[in-house]
Amino acid sequence: MIIGAIILIAILIIGVGMYNSLIGKKNQVTNAFSAIDVMLKKRFDLIPNLVETVKQYMQYEGDTLTKITELRGKAMGTGVSEVEKLAIDQQIGSAVKGLMVSVENYPDLKANSNFINLQSTWTESEEQIAAARRNYNATVTTYNNAVMMFPGSIFAGMLNYYPMEVLASTEEERKNLSARELFNS
Amino acid sequence: MAEFETQISPQVQNTLSELENERKAIVDEKYKGWGAIIFSGVVIFLMGALGVIIAGLLLGLCGIGYGIYVLYAISEKEKSYKDRYKRDVIGATLVAIDANLTFDHYKGILESEFRYSQLFSTTPDRYSTEDLIIGKLDKTGFYFAEVHAEYKTETQTKNGRQVSWHDILKGIIFVADFNKHFNGITIVRPKSMSASISAWFSKNVFSFGNKSVVQLENDTFNKDFVVYSSDQIEARYILTPALMERITDLNKRSAYHVSLSFIASRMYIAFPLDHNYFEPPMFKTLLNPNLLSNDINILNFMCDIVRELDLNTRIWTKQ
Repeated sequence: MIIGAIILIAILIIGVGMYNSLIGKKNQVTNAFSAIDVMLKKRFDLIPNLVETVKQYMQYEGDTLTKITELRGKAMGTGVSEVEKLAIDQQIGSAVKGLMVSVENYPDLKANSNFINLQSTWTESEEQIAAARRNYNATVTTYNNAVMMFPGSIFAGMLNYYPMEVLASTEEERKNLSARELFNS
Repeated sequence: MAEFETQISPQVQNTLSELENERKAIVDEKYKGWGAIIFSGVVIFLMGALGVIIAGLLLGLCGIGYGIYVLYAISEKEKSYKDRYKRDVIGATLVAIDANLTFDHYKGILESEFRYSQLFSTTPDRYSTEDLIIGKLDKTGFYFAEVHAEYKTETQTKNGRQVSWHDILKGIIFVADFNKHFNGITIVRPKSMSASISAWFSKNVFSFGNKSVVQLENDTFNKDFVVYSSDQIEARYILTPALMERITDLNKRSAYHVSLSFIASRMYIAFPLDHNYFEPPMFKTLLNPNLLSNDINILNFMCDIVRELDLNTRIWTKQ
């Protein structure tokens, strides 16, 4: 009788622990995604300043600047999902990268201290987003393991928790670039 | 930056010739002192065997006293020889190699900084440090010093309490200004059985303190190290895929597993070593052309870290 009660209590404690752990892991995934969002916002906030600084020197890159501004407006608009925001960010990233290459043709801009500072902040934000994405993927992997492995899968079924998809690695992450290469590209 | 060469300057060569004479005189005195002690021991034993115990003891103790006096008298000269070697040979050679390098054999990494670095979870009970080298390579300032940190264990035996000392670190701690800003604490420790168990608990059950285990993507890196951090995203911002590979390479080139920590914009690396560097030889000649090769090699190794870990790349807001 007593042994049976002890076993029942033990099962209950383990069950509650696993249930809470699963909810905790799901919340961690949400937090990790919010962290990406914060980093993206930080990066989008750099754009107006960047465009303003660059516009004064670059006469022939008007289209690129307009495109970057439009993309920012789209990303900051209402009703844009997080996944869409990430996709827009990648487009902004490519456009800015192209812009940075064009800077070579504008020595005055290249020497402008405000631009140099913006360039460093941009690179920093790029790595911070990459770090936030890697963190998100690690959190999703931990969550997926908990959802798919026995006995967590039982609770996952009860809570309607399903495996999530990790974010596809960006070009920079895949190429495993050194910092210098990133800067020179 | 070119590799430092082991060439000894003519000025240092002259100092070495003078120091060689000092060394020989010290060694002669040491032989005299130890010779007197050993000889007196033999005299006590032999005279005791012959039954002349009192006279043997008196004679022997006089001899031992003389030996101890000679060794004591030479200890000051030995200290002065060591000091001059470090100042006029090591110090002068480093400055000749690179004017940015400074060497102070009396200074080191303070115990408070050793604790602050959190490189090791054990707190030292005995700590010594010496041979501080400070330098700057391009934009990156760095310093390193020899450190011997130990902890003690006490066991109760039938003869009373026995204290044993164990090494936490015997080697070099290298500190460099890191090229990115960060606010949290990230620690990279070698993977041992206890670290793995603690990491498993931290990941699956509960975290110890305010730092949790960071699961990174590089399998080779994960096999060698366990990473703890107060900020999961910041840890990944510091430990980029490229830096993880570089740390793995650095670890392979080191004699023993290295430990790293990233605190207050600085990077700390602990290198356990078997050799005590920057010390003058006592029973070997100073006139060997390769005299400084070990010391210059370790200096090259430390300065290489800045290049290997790409610390001079300052493309982020930190300049």
